Amino acid sequence: MLELIFILPILTGLAALFVPANLGRGMLLIAALFHLQLTIMAWFGQLPVYTSDFFSAEPVGLLVLLLTSFIFLCISLYAICYVRETEMENEPVFHGCMLLFLGTMSMVSLADHPIVLWIAIEATTLVSAPLIFVHRSREALEATWKYIIICSVGIALALLGCFFITLSIDIAEIDVPLTFTSLNRVAAQLDPVWLKAGFIFIAIGFGTKMGLAPMHTWLPDAHSQAPSPASALLSGALLNCAFLGIYKAHTLMYLAGLGEFSSNLLIGFGLTSMLVAGIFMVKQPDYKRMLAYSSIENMGIIAFGVGLGGVAVYGAILHMIHHSLIKSSLFLSAGNILLGFKTKFVEHIGNLAKFLPKTFVSFFAGFVGISGLPPFGLFISELFILIGAIQTGHPFCAALFIFCLLLVVAGAAQIVTDMSFSENIAEIQGVEKYLRVFPPYALLLTSILLTVWLPDGIYTTILNTIKIIGGTIHG
Amino acid sequence: MSNIVNITMVIILLSVLLSLASNRLIALVKIMALQGIMVSLLPLLLEHHSRMGSGGLIFFQVMILIKGALIPGLLYVALKRVVTKREIEPIIGYHASLFAGLIIILLSIFITERLHLSLPKGHDLLLTTAITTISAGFFLMMSRKKAITQVIGYLMLENGIYLVGTALTKHAHTLYVVEFGVLLDVLVGVMIMGIILHNINHTFDDIDTDHLNLLKD
Amino acid sequence: MESFFTIALALLLAPLFPGIILKVKAFFAGKKGPPLLIKYYTLLKLLQKGSVYSTSTTFVFKLGPIISCAGAMMILLFFPLGGMSPLVSFHGDVIVLFYILGLGRFFTIAAALDTASPFEGMGAAREAFFGTLAEASIFAILILFYRMTGALSFAEYFIGARSISMAGTAGALLLLVIVSLFMLLLTENSRVPVDDPATHLELTMIHEVMILDHSGPDLALIELGSFYKLFFYSAFIFLIIFPLKAEWGLFKVPLFFGGIGLVYVAIGLVESGMARFKMNLVPKFVLTSLVLVSFAAILTMEFIK
Repeated sequence: MLELIFILPILTGLAALFVPANLGRGMLLIAALFHLQLTIMAWFGQLPVYTSDFFSAEPVGLLVLLLTSFIFLCISLYAICYVRETEMENEPVFHGCMLLFLGTMSMVSLADHPIVLWIAIEATTLVSAPLIFVHRSREALEATWKYIIICSVGIALALLGCFFITLSIDIAEIDVPLTFTSLNRVAAQLDPVWLKAGFIFIAIGFGTKMGLAPMHTWLPDAHSQAPSPASALLSGALLNCAFLGIYKAHTLMYLAGLGEFSSNLLIGFGLTSMLVAGIFMVKQPDYKRMLAYSSIENMGIIAFGVGLGGVAVYGAILHMIHHSLIKSSLFLSAGNILLGFKTKFVEHIGNLAKFLPKTFVSFFAGFVGISGLPPFGLFISELFILIGAIQTGHPFCAALFIFCLLLVVAGAAQIVTDMSFSENIAEIQGVEKYLRVFPPYALLLTSILLTVWLPDGIYTTILNTIKIIGGTIHG
Repeated sequence: MSNIVNITMVIILLSVLLSLASNRLIALVKIMALQGIMVSLLPLLLEHHSRMGSGGLIFFQVMILIKGALIPGLLYVALKRVVTKREIEPIIGYHASLFAGLIIILLSIFITERLHLSLPKGHDLLLTTAITTISAGFFLMMSRKKAITQVIGYLMLENGIYLVGTALTKHAHTLYVVEFGVLLDVLVGVMIMGIILHNINHTFDDIDTDHLNLLKD
Repeated sequence: MESFFTIALALLLAPLFPGIILKVKAFFAGKKGPPLLIKYYTLLKLLQKGSVYSTSTTFVFKLGPIISCAGAMMILLFFPLGGMSPLVSFHGDVIVLFYILGLGRFFTIAAALDTASPFEGMGAAREAFFGTLAEASIFAILILFYRMTGALSFAEYFIGARSISMAGTAGALLLLVIVSLFMLLLTENSRVPVDDPATHLELTMIHEVMILDHSGPDLALIELGSFYKLFFYSAFIFLIIFPLKAEWGLFKVPLFFGGIGLVYVAIGLVESGMARFKMNLVPKFVLTSLVLVSFAAILTMEFIK
């Protein structure tokens, strides 16, 4: 059954809270493997849905699910090694929450009922808060508090948005079950005023979780303070889940004939996020914060792409996939650097290429990828979005888009080259372990692989997804 | 019947206003308990919910228990353990807060008037109450120093949203399982916030949000 | 005839009720407390004594007690006690009456200033300040009632054609008014948590400090005036909560006095449960009552269109 995909990790996660750390590590890995297997089965339609009122296997949901599952497998490999070296105080909580996190994120990707979607997204906040707090420093405390308060409030607004959408059914006096699938069918009859109000709140609410500016303030703190495997998961998987919420609401709006309204909102949020992230990235003293701002920028790109429509939607979906792979790889590399140098500040790190050569290759390759250079996929996706922007008649937005990209690349390049080649006085305190170095490579190679050869299954799924909101790849 | 509904709503408004004026944390927690109970009772009193099965009744009992007893209880425990100084310490003073409350309700009425074209009949005050509760929750979060008042503000926000949800929309498509999920999320959220509060107190010897300013750009 | 009877009864019974407050407080303190009729004994004792006047005071000092007591008695004449039609009533009498109460306060303050004692001056300043704030609330209530009933007299409020009741239109809003009026009652009558009639430090007093120099029959008049004022506010609150219907006949009278007794019990409960506020928090308390009524007044826009 389809529900097993999230029930399995949740149950294992709850169990992992109470078992010794060694056993917990094993459970983490085994659950990740099983999860990937179940996900692949779901892709081939092998898993029937039991509670179709709440859950369904939508193409875009499956895409996010597959991505989450794959990234989680890589991260769990890494985490096993990472936690052993950092001597985490409360390891069972870490394992348990990682698994619960996986479970709730899978629930997000499968949810079809708006309020179930909301419950799942709020649950991701709650189970990931202990992950950020795991190091128990003052900064971690502050980051956790900001994360949980800002996200809870933001997501509460999304609940208001969900209720407004419910109200729009009531006022139109249509009798349909409250699921995205059935709402999409009757979208044109829904009350437009409440639908618009609902979308605004959903965009703000889930946008908070997705890290869109100006609601992004929690994101740099949380991502920089969480242990690296958790940061990778937050950035690579959680942000996509929040995006999924907005995407589904946008689909509904598009079908209700209000596509222009929601598109403009998304374009506005997208460009603001890119600009804000670009400004804060220049001269950023903390490399994990730099990566966090880069996530904000990329989420902005995705929102921008989806808002534009046409070819850009295809670009946005591709961007989501590649950003997840590359960014989680980068956070894992950053974790390796942190273990090697024991500092998050760029100025105390130098000569990465000499001290940690393997990490250097993955980190630098990740930087190349995130900057949108070939051979990585972000090059293609950004190109698609740019073409889309010009085709749909947004030349100013396109110009701003390019400007922000340049700003971000400039900011990141300075930091990365500084870390890699400068002669800063730095001491190396850790060694590279195979288990920690391998996962970032695996993620990056996957991204390259998907760039040169996109499997037909994934390709058609993306096309099916974007077809609904008018996305094509033939301009 | 409609008068009882109105009275319940006025009590909710009263609790909102008193929470803005209250200067003791314990009093604030008690007010939240009252508000929680009233918010959970309201859907029961509304006419279009009168035909509900036993499942609904059990759900609302659980809800009163959680909103009226469990969550305030958690807050109370957190308060007893954490806070040494029981004063609220506002950033915006009480007098200004009270008048902010007045402005909030004026705005809520204005918004309701603007929107009431497409509202179900007789629900004007309900929407006003909900909007007031939501905005006052926001106000409370922003205008008080103690971290625990932010939790309380969040709860008030949540109560307001719940008013929109359960009371305004018809019951045909709200499934109790789903609502219970929402409730559970809120409960767990408050629990986790409580744990973090405890840690904040442990680390800084206070729960003043002024201490939380290490991370910035 | 019945009206004369109820007013006489009210004038006679008013000193009984503060005894109830003392009993309730004693009960919660685990004490036996003074007898119920304690206030009568006090009055009797004071009336038997002579008054002492400082050589520095003038006639203003002697005027204070008389006017404040007379004002408080006068308001009872206009009030539909026990749901009976009052002896006197005209359109707009509420405004006159609240200003007559204000006049009483003015003369109390003037008398306090007349003594030229620094303590009394301080008390007078506080009384004037809090009284001013309370007046805003009272008039907000009157505005609200005018919106609800279109009337400006006590008789119209409670026994008129469109009398106020919780069951009527916008009745729910009365809840806000009741809470607000109760807060006003505590403020205007110098009760805990605003002022503590039993305190023994002059610096912390508001009302009591102003009457330190009065003695004998003068003090008795002041006490009596404050009993009537408290009685009036309690009756006001009670009639809003529980309007007495005309068809109940004479049965209304015991119901009325019983209900007022319950209001006094409520005051006693509040006094037992609360400590008095710091002086700087009192304005907040009074303003809360103002905001409550304003809330209600704004909300009438929803009900009365």
